[in-house]
Amino acid sequence: MSFRSTVKNLQRPVAIAPLVTFRILFGLMMLAGTIRFWANGWITQQYVAPKFFFTYMGFEWVHPLGSTGMHLVFGLIALATVLIIAGLFYRAAIIVFFIAFTYVELIDVTNYLNHYYFISLVSFLMIWLPANRYFSLDVKLWPKLQRTQVPLWTIGIIRLQVAVVYFFAGLAKINPDWMMHALPMKIWLPAKSHLPLVGGLMYKEWVAYLFSWFGAFYDLFIAFFLINRKTRPIAYVFVLGFHISTAIFFPGIGMFPYVMIVCSFIFFSSGYHQKLLAFFGKDRASGGYNIYHYATWLQPALPVVLGVYFLLQFIVPIRFLAYPGHLFWYEEGYRFSWRVMLMEKSGNTFFTVKEPSTGKAYEIDNRQYLTPLQDKMMSTQPDMLLRYAHYLAQVYAKKGLKNPAVYAQCYVTLNGERSQPFVDETVNLAAQPLSWHHYNWVLPFTNHEK
Amino acid sequence: MVAVTTFIIACSKGGGGGTKDPDPTPSGFDKAAMLTNYADALIIPAYTNLQTQAALLETAVNTFLTTPNAANQTALKAAFKDTYLRFEDVSADQFGPAEAALFNNFVNTFPTDSAVIEGNVIRGTYDLTSNASISQQGLPALDYLLFNPHAVADFTGGTAVNRKKYVQDVVANLKAKINTVLTNWKGTYRATFIGNTRSDSGSPIAFLINQFAFEMDQLKGPRVGWPFGKQSAGVTYPNNTEGFNAGISIALATENLTALKGMFNGGGSGKGMSDYLVALNKQQLSTDVMAQFDKAIAALKTIPDPYPTAITNNKTQIEAAYREIQILLTLIKTDVASATGVRITYQDTDGD
Repeated sequence: MSFRSTVKNLQRPVAIAPLVTFRILFGLMMLAGTIRFWANGWITQQYVAPKFFFTYMGFEWVHPLGSTGMHLVFGLIALATVLIIAGLFYRAAIIVFFIAFTYVELIDVTNYLNHYYFISLVSFLMIWLPANRYFSLDVKLWPKLQRTQVPLWTIGIIRLQVAVVYFFAGLAKINPDWMMHALPMKIWLPAKSHLPLVGGLMYKEWVAYLFSWFGAFYDLFIAFFLINRKTRPIAYVFVLGFHISTAIFFPGIGMFPYVMIVCSFIFFSSGYHQKLLAFFGKDRASGGYNIYHYATWLQPALPVVLGVYFLLQFIVPIRFLAYPGHLFWYEEGYRFSWRVMLMEKSGNTFFTVKEPSTGKAYEIDNRQYLTPLQDKMMSTQPDMLLRYAHYLAQVYAKKGLKNPAVYAQCYVTLNGERSQPFVDETVNLAAQPLSWHHYNWVLPFTNHEK
Repeated sequence: MVAVTTFIIACSKGGGGGTKDPDPTPSGFDKAAMLTNYADALIIPAYTNLQTQAALLETAVNTFLTTPNAANQTALKAAFKDTYLRFEDVSADQFGPAEAALFNNFVNTFPTDSAVIEGNVIRGTYDLTSNASISQQGLPALDYLLFNPHAVADFTGGTAVNRKKYVQDVVANLKAKINTVLTNWKGTYRATFIGNTRSDSGSPIAFLINQFAFEMDQLKGPRVGWPFGKQSAGVTYPNNTEGFNAGISIALATENLTALKGMFNGGGSGKGMSDYLVALNKQQLSTDVMAQFDKAIAALKTIPDPYPTAITNNKTQIEAAYREIQILLTLIKTDVASATGVRITYQDTDGD
């Protein structure tokens, strides 16, 4: 198929139903997630209690809003999800959702999760999609808005986004630890020996290999099987099986399995979604054929914007190639790359603040400034170590120290290797800049046993 | 994965009936047996010993209160020290019933608040059940009330009546707290503890690992490092040591670490965390942690009590012990926690 005809095919009108079911399911899931987050007390725990927040580079201006403010933001998110589900004031609701959700995620790197990033991306895409033009309160109130058909690409970009996640998650698993040593599965599975029936098998090495290899192949190829009409139903059975199993084996990953189960549903054909909607709703497409068209002024911009967007989706996950050294160790270019459950890494850091002119030294009790989760995350991620070191320098400068220097004794264990020094103890971290460049003060990783 | 799961279930059903797998890799490890050992051989006996010792302490306290003299104070100090040492044996067990009762907070918040205690004594009114009163009671408060330099005189002076009453109330509250925790352990919690072989946050295995790390943090900080001036550019805080007036800080720290070692290897029963590590193919780590426990304990023992004096006279020994403690802390917090797949919070993670 030539490029021209491909583009033409992407413009082909199809039933709007997949966008509508996606809107409703996505909204329901986000509402459930928000309620769960609130009920678990995580708003306070993650956005009110900490004294210090690890911001993202370029987003240092993002700050939390205090207890009332943060609860209001989550209330706003919940309200937006309800409006999204109902399809009422959809465009405003999805914009509010995208901004509020992304704002919350930008507050603290500690809480970074791939599926939060995914939700931000999807909600951004949804801003531009006419998901409220059918089976919605907007249409009830303003019947003229109703459309029954949309260009294929409006559904296609969600499918592509889901495919990008799976594919890069699969690519990330093609590494020696995962494939050749079944790590970190070999470490994690024995901790699951309490499970009924399969518990006893969790100590077996072959089970760890089976999980690793199956996971890698599932991630790499599932999107292709979902796209293909013939393999789609069985592929979706695999989607359900895979993610429900991961939810059982690794409950710590939270909403992620459900997010993927819901989002993969978009791969089903327009006809299928149409039937599903008809089953639930009485209102049929009354106006017959009625195709959604983007405004003429927007038409030429759309391919460019989408092109740039998806180009970034392909470049960002492979940006790690621009850095030297072991990716899992340095984590330079690690985030935003669909690396989920890839490694077992923990660390422990002791900081010392020194006043160069007097030689006075102050050891830091991290618990005084960080939550346990912040402490844990900081201890294995160079950019977070550096941010915290800079913060400590500020704190001690305020206490009256002249040019406080900050040194770290940090030990990190990766995928079952014995812990080894992570940071050059002789380097004053207060003087090291945050940057996109390789951090030379992180000591190289040496691989021993295995 | 559905296929995998079905396959696994099918296998475990089919091949299950007693045929031993020839696979030489670690077969199962009986986590329930390990937890039973922790409950029945370590934790419950440790609380029972503390309870017994607290009763002896009460007797000695009453003897001293009836006749406050130096001889009775010396006898009391021995009973007090024994009680404090028995507390160090349960210090790591701050989860389940102990956590619910804020046991360590009520029993061992140090430094104690002597100014507020004196105010309580003079007024004769106080509420030792409120969470705000944790630094006015427990063993550190008794340490101050019974062994401060003017203690004997205090119990014959103008505030003697109120002071005696306060000491008795503190002892009564201490005994009540011990009783609460032990009763809960012997009651429903034992089964809860043994029955949960998960490793996620809030599970007994995670509690144990997290408490090992927490106690090491306490040892490095409040017990040894902070009074020594580690946090404060060498400005020392000798008064902030544990068991300051009785002059038993290092004895307590040594017992704390020795008890922790006992907890780590399950009392040498073959059913401890060290054995779990071996079952996880981490023989070397297990050996190294045990060796590091011994090194740190030996290093602590080179520091003479009273610690406040040692802070000035034995800097080299303290620095050495501090280093060994730090190495042990790192091993437990990173290598052991990582090997056992223990998580530290309930929050979602990407598993990294």
